[in-house]
This record gives sequence, structure tokens and C-alpha cells, in this order.
Amino acid sequence: MQASKRKETLAAYTFLAPGFVLFALVVLYPIARAFQISLYHWSIVPGTTSQYIGLGNYTHALHDPIFWRALENTGAYMVFTVPAQIVLGMTVAVLLDARMPARGLYRTLYYLPVVTSWVVVSLLFRYMFITDGGLINFVLHDKLHLVGHNIEWLSHRWSALAVISILGIWKGIGWSMVIFLAALQTVPRELKEAAAVDGARAWARFRAVSLPAILPVIAFVTVMLVIGGFNVFISVFLITNGGPLDETQVLLTYMYRQAFSFLDFGYGSSLSFTLTLIVFALSIAQLRLFRRPKDAA
Amino acid sequence: MRFRWTILALGLIVAVATMAATAGARVTTTHAKTTTITFWDAYSSDGPEVKRLEKVLIPQFEKEHPGIKVKDVTIPYDSLHQKLITAVAGSQLPDLVRSDIIWVPELANLGVLQPLDTTLPDFKSIKSKVFTGPLATNFWKGHYYGLPLDTNTRIWVYNPIAMQAAGVSAPPKTFAQLQSDSATAKGKGAYLYAESGTSCWNICPWIWSNGGSITNGTYTKATGFLNGPKAVQAVQMLVNLYKAGQMPNIVVDSNGGLGTYDGIAQKKYTSMLDGPWSFSIFASAYKNTQLAGTTVPAGPGGSVSVVGGEDIVMTKSSKNKTAAAEFMRFMLHSFAQTQMARAGQMPVLKSSTKSLVKIHPYYATYLKQIATAKPRTPTPKWPQIDQVFQTQVAKAFTGSETVQQALTDAAQQVDGLLK
Amino acid sequence: MVTGSASRTRAILGVRILILSVGVFLMIVPFAYMFATSLKPNALVLEIPPKLIPHHPTTANYTDAWTSNKFGRYFLNSLGVAIATTFFSVWLSSMMAYAFARFSFPGRRILFGLLLIGLMVPTMMLIIPQFILAKNLGMLDSLTGLVFFYTGGTLALNTFLLRSFFQDIPRELEEAMVVDGAGPWKRYLKLVLPLSRPALATVGIFSFLASWDEFVWALTVINDPNKRTLPIAISLFQGEHSTSWGLVFAASTIAVVPVLLAFVIFQRQFVSGLTTGALKA
Repeated sequence: MQASKRKETLAAYTFLAPGFVLFALVVLYPIARAFQISLYHWSIVPGTTSQYIGLGNYTHALHDPIFWRALENTGAYMVFTVPAQIVLGMTVAVLLDARMPARGLYRTLYYLPVVTSWVVVSLLFRYMFITDGGLINFVLHDKLHLVGHNIEWLSHRWSALAVISILGIWKGIGWSMVIFLAALQTVPRELKEAAAVDGARAWARFRAVSLPAILPVIAFVTVMLVIGGFNVFISVFLITNGGPLDETQVLLTYMYRQAFSFLDFGYGSSLSFTLTLIVFALSIAQLRLFRRPKDAA
Repeated sequence: MRFRWTILALGLIVAVATMAATAGARVTTTHAKTTTITFWDAYSSDGPEVKRLEKVLIPQFEKEHPGIKVKDVTIPYDSLHQKLITAVAGSQLPDLVRSDIIWVPELANLGVLQPLDTTLPDFKSIKSKVFTGPLATNFWKGHYYGLPLDTNTRIWVYNPIAMQAAGVSAPPKTFAQLQSDSATAKGKGAYLYAESGTSCWNICPWIWSNGGSITNGTYTKATGFLNGPKAVQAVQMLVNLYKAGQMPNIVVDSNGGLGTYDGIAQKKYTSMLDGPWSFSIFASAYKNTQLAGTTVPAGPGGSVSVVGGEDIVMTKSSKNKTAAAEFMRFMLHSFAQTQMARAGQMPVLKSSTKSLVKIHPYYATYLKQIATAKPRTPTPKWPQIDQVFQTQVAKAFTGSETVQQALTDAAQQVDGLLK
Repeated sequence: MVTGSASRTRAILGVRILILSVGVFLMIVPFAYMFATSLKPNALVLEIPPKLIPHHPTTANYTDAWTSNKFGRYFLNSLGVAIATTFFSVWLSSMMAYAFARFSFPGRRILFGLLLIGLMVPTMMLIIPQFILAKNLGMLDSLTGLVFFYTGGTLALNTFLLRSFFQDIPRELEEAMVVDGAGPWKRYLKLVLPLSRPALATVGIFSFLASWDEFVWALTVINDPNKRTLPIAISLFQGEHSTSWGLVFAASTIAVVPVLLAFVIFQRQFVSGLTTGALKA
């Protein structure tokens, strides 16, 4: 018995080893390494030495106005995109959660933006929001006459962030929808159908029947979207590249520029390590927060 | 059983795919005896530059030098600086780089460039054949780290038909005409002058033409110069044009609207300041548009434009310095210089000036303009200084700060960088 | 009363479909615009009014992208890297997942916890240390390097998904094999893997897409134009003076269509993979 136990353990480690070694090398070690680098005035050029400066890079960040603006912009991106993706994704999921023709087709079409590459959709949105000759200004100005002149979308901080956020929402609705839809389908159908027929009280029923059942799923989606929000990079990088005037810099674009345009690997690492800590703290806090009502019930 | 087949098929696909994916890398290693040198540049693929290099120059070089292969890597200008810096970090620099003249001090200061005056035995003779101005851009702390490859400046480039349509009969010769003509063009629904950014390359010609300057003569101080009355006045004039709706918004956001070339081709803009390559790009990509050129409108300081250009530099990490040096010599030879002149690159050889106007008449204006053009501050911090300049001038355009405030702030920051 | 209720149901269904269709329209329009632009000659890409159906469609941008811009090469690079990544990632993560799902061994909780940390940290935040690591391993500017880092980056999610699937395989089946004297390798190869084909397909598709679409890492480490993948090549189509939008979107269409097809074909596996994480959390 003892011997077979040992054999089992050995087998387990054999199964685990190749993958875990690679994972440790490519993911875990860099996490630790990011922290180490962030404590140095890191010198990447061959033949020069790095200088240990303790938390110097972190205090530098605290006094760097662009860091704070990047943090603000990242926060704004989340405020714009996370609730919108949840509400719109949920709305579409609820609408699709019924017997109706071509349901699968609708689901597929809503999901298309999710599987499309960020590079492609970012360039596409930049093109659509071009000031003179872009599709959006054409619709708003020439067709609907909602605005008096062509809006210079990408020339100003908030309108540029709006474009980036709209892209984030457009690309993300399908993802939350699919998950909500799957969750809703675990709720007994009779209860929901009663709610659907009884129009006036549909919302009340939804709150009473479906919502509590899928609350953990909402928590999961929220956590993932918040992490995704911190991860916003490609859209900003390709649409504004932080401009004009660093106005639309988010944490990751600023980190990338520090490292790969200014060779300040130490400062860049301190930014990404800070971000990693924020992501951890938020995910854990959110999970706790959303679990409480369920535990109490 | 079926599952094993799937694995087999998968394995096969992986093998084929990996082979396909690495085949490109293998090409360079199969011929053990040939030396391959890699050359990074930002030659424009919109126009004939890349074609000349890859279809005429490199084949000619390889014919003259059997055993040496040149691998050309063209990277868009906007990405090249970042790519170079990343390659410095990764120790991945190529053998040769065609570097913008403003990056050479920075790269030299990072210690990644090979000093040529101590490497090339014939450096002195090459040196005597090229213009001193462009050559000077390679000088850093007592050594020459590169050779000039091409030089250029910006002149007033316009679409005469668009200009007529905008109610302007001739290009503006003075600041006063620029202002009145801009208003006229606006009345016809066009922009007289489009500028696609606020960096020194874009704005400095106006400051210098107005008699202003960026720093003192020894490049140690910006306060009192960059925020002096002449510089402020020049920027103010442009800001006024922009605020009056007489300059398109691409000046503050080059991605935000119709680019200068598209705008001029579509007659939305009549003019821009640009280098000689614009003529050859229009000739190949916008065949229906004829361009004309004249000197930059003159202010109290005259008509003063900005010196641009590229240098060719050799990296310290190059394993094929002899072959790389051969290619440098080839690119500075009159054959290569003349070929590239046909593609819109102004040569740096003293001997080529006379024949230049024969290649293209527009070079006459460029030669006239470059005689008075000024260089940007030669310092390793230039990319950061230009970033400050760009940011602060843009603030003046968007109106978040007054011109005076923006430039005073800029001067202070530049002072810090010049220390 | 009954007819009233039926017509009301129909009305509700009508409203449902109307709202959903408006939404679908907004989802699809950008794609239509992209495709339309890819068929326009370059001079007309910013025409006013913008046309969703070009007057004189041309495939010039496609032939241009494919021939003069080495797009075939980039396509092969992307395909090769994505297939190799998928293969290694599915292979390594299925072994890890099996260990986590079926064995108890010292350090199991800790190792799984570390895996979860890897799941939480967005890869982009590790780009600086990963760059230095790749430099030390000589894996900059190499497609093998891309496969190595992509595989490492997808392991956590794949292992997590596969583990929860493997746990659902009835233990009795394995116990029966143990009685017959089958060792762990035989059980893994002959029982667990064949039974998990849908789940393997799911993580396979995820890995493939992640690798196919990856941009930042490739942009940062790849210098040799012959080793460019599709996303970098597309982003580098932006010219210095004007962007050839027709070319950009022809290239984008070439890159996107295989993904959309794969998605439509493997939709079921895709959705099941997505929801496994969510509904078990």
C-alpha cells in the first residue's frame, strides 16, 4: 500500500513537471523578477551596471503626474466599460433566454467581436472615428444633424477615451452575454416563463427569481472584466498611443513606453508590479463582497 | 484507434507548420560562405524609395561584392525609434541603421555605435567628399559615429489647382500673406496650410523665420529663447490660424483626420511644408495631383527651414564590420546617391549638387532653402526635448495654456534636460 | 382572453426580436464597413458619403497584400506558431490537469494556488521580465521563442479548465482500469484523453486564438520581417504620410475570416469552455 502510494505521487509529479516547470519559468519567475527589477535603476545596455535604489521607482511614480493621469484613465475606462458590459450583456442574455427563431444565429453574431483580433478592431475603430470622412461623424453630423460640426474624437482626452471605451464595450458584450445566458439556463424555465408573460412584473420576477441564482456568476464576470479593464493596452496603443500629450495614457501604455522607448526598465517594472498588486487586491475584495449575501442566505 | 490517428495527424501538422515557420530563418544560414549584413531603415514604401533600394541598389552591391548579402528591413518611421531602443535592450541591433540625424547622439551616448573615424581607414577621404552640415550630425564627444546618407529640408509644397480653387492666386511669400490667404481659403471651404504635428520639425521653421530660437548658441539654455517674444509670436500666429478654423486639427492629433497627403490630393488642403520625397510619393501614389514648391513664407528673420536627413551608422555589436563598411561606402558613392536622388532623397556628396537640378527641377528650391536652414539641437536628450516641445506647443493649440505659459514651461523643462 | 394573451406573447416576441436586431446591426456594421473599405481603390477610402457597398469594387488590395507585401509568409508564420502553441499547450496542460484532478500528493494545494495566481496576472504585466528572460535564453527574434512564451502563458487557464472537466469523469471507469492493472499513463492516454475530446477541443481553440491574435509580445521581440506574424504585419501597414486603409482592411479580413469560420464551426466547444470557468467559480 505504502509503495503504491509512493508510486502514485511519483506519477503525479511526472505528469505535472514539464508543464509546471515551463509555467514557473515563463509566469511565476517573471512575477518575482518584476519586483526585483523595480528596486533598481535597471541598466539594460550591455556593459553597464544597475543601481539599487530601493523603493525609488515607486516614490517616483507617486510624484509623476502622468502616472496619476494614467491611473485615472484606467479607472475611467473601467467605470465606462464594466457596468455597461454587464448591463448590456445581461439584457441581451435575458432577451435571448426564450423560445424564439434564429436564437443561435443571434448569439453567434453578438459574439463575433469577441473572437476578432484586438489589432483589427482597434484599427477599424480608429478609421471609423476619423474626423473628416469617418463613418461616425458622417452619421452624427451629415445624416442625423445631431452635432453642428465634425467631432475631433481623437484630439481630446475624454472623447478619445470614449472611443476606446465604446470599442471595449462593443467587443465585450458578447462575452458576458454568453456566460449570463448559460447561467440563466440553469434557472428553472417555468419560473422565468411566468415572468416573461407577466410583463409588468417581469423586472420584479427577474430580481426575485433569476438574479439571486446567478449572483455568483455576476461576481465572476465582474472580476474578470475588472482585470480585463486593467489590461487595456492594444486599443489605446493603436488608436491614440497615449496621445494627444499623454492625455489618454493608461497604465500599461505608459509602462510600455517607459521600458521600450526610454529604456527605463526599473520604472516600467514598478508600474506593472503596482498594477499586479491592485489587480490581486481588487479580485479578492470583489470575490469576498459578492459571496457574502450567498453565505448569509 | 481513431484517436491515435488524430495525434499522428496533429504531430504531422505541427512538424510541417514549424518547418514553414522556421524556413525563413534558415535561408540566411544555409550559405555558410556568404556574409549577410542587416540594414534597418525607414525608407518610405509609399513611394519609390524602398523599390530603388531593393531592386536597384542592393542587387548592384551584391553583384559588385560577391559573398556579401544585404538584408533590408524597412520599418515605418513612427515605429523605428522604439524598435531601435528595444533592440538596444535586447542586444538585437542590426549591422547598419539608417538613422534619423536626431537619434545619432542618443544612440552614440548609449554606447551601441561604432566610432567610424577610428574604424574606417579611409574615413578622412570620405569625410572630405560630403557636406559639413550633415556630417556634423554624426559627431558626438570627439568621434564621428556615422556618415551622412541624405539631407533634406522642408519647403512650401502646394497643389496649385487646389490653391486656385481656394481663391488664392499664388503661394504666400510672407507671414502677412499667409494669414490673409488662410482666411481667403477658409471662405472657400478649404485649408490653406495643413501641418501634421507640433514637434520641432513641424513648428521650428516658423519660429526661426520669425527671428526666434530654441536655445542659446551653445545649446545649454532654453529659457529666454524658446519662450522669448519672437518664438511666442510665431507660435501665436499659428495658434490664431488654428483657432480661426484655418488650419485642420491634424496639427494636434495627426491620427484624427485627413493626412496632409490625402488632404492635398483631395483639394481639402492646398499646402504643407515637406521634404523632396513628397514629390516622388505623389508621382507614384497620387498620379492625378501635380505638386509645386516654393520657399517657406518669410518672416522678420527671413525664410528659415529645418534641416532633416538621415545618417548611416554601424553598430558595435555588428559581427560583419568589414562587409558593413563596404555597404556604407557603396551608399555614399555617387551611383547610389544619384539613384536615391531620383527617389526624392537629397544627396550629401558635394559633387552631386550640380547634376541635382537636372534630376528634378524641384531640387532647386530645396537647395536654396537648405542654404539657410537650421539643425535641431544635437544632444542625446533630443527625443525627450522634442517630446516636451511637442506636448507644450500642442497645449497652446488646444488652448489649455496660453502660448506664453506653454513655452515658458517648455523652456524650463528643456533647461533641465540640457543640464 | 386566451387570444389576447397569445397576441401579447407575440407582441413581446416582436419587441424582443426588434431590440435584438438593432443590437446585432450595431455589432455587424463595423465588419461590413471594414469589408467594404477593403474592396475600395485607395483614393476612395475616405469618401463622403461613406459607402457600405462600393461602386467599383476591386480585389486589388487583396492581391497587393498577398503578393507584394509577403502576406502569405506572415499567414504561414501565424499559422505555424498557433498550431505549435496549441499542440504543446494542450499536451502539457492536460497532463497537469490530470495530476490535479486525480492524484493527491504533497504540495498539491500550493501548486494549484500558484496556478491560480498565474490565471489572475495579465500577461502584459510581465512583459519586462519576460523580455529579459527571452534575451538570456536567446529567444528574441525567433518563432520558437514565440511558441515557448505563448505556451507558457496559456497553461494556467487550460489546466484550470481541463481539471474541472476531468473531475467530472466518473471515477468508477478509472477504478475498473486499475483493477485490470492499468497504470496512470495508460489511464491518461486510453481513458481520460479520449473521453475529454470536447474539452481538449475547447482549450485547443482558446490556445489557437490567443496565439493567432497575440500582438504586443510579437511586436516587441520580432525584428526580422520574415518572422512577422499577421497582427504585427497589419499594424505596420500604416504609412508615414498616409495609411493605406484599403490594404490594412484587406489584410485584416484575411486574418479575421479563418477565426470567424473556426468559431462558427466549433461554437459549442467554445461556449462550454467559457462557461465552465464561470459556472464553477
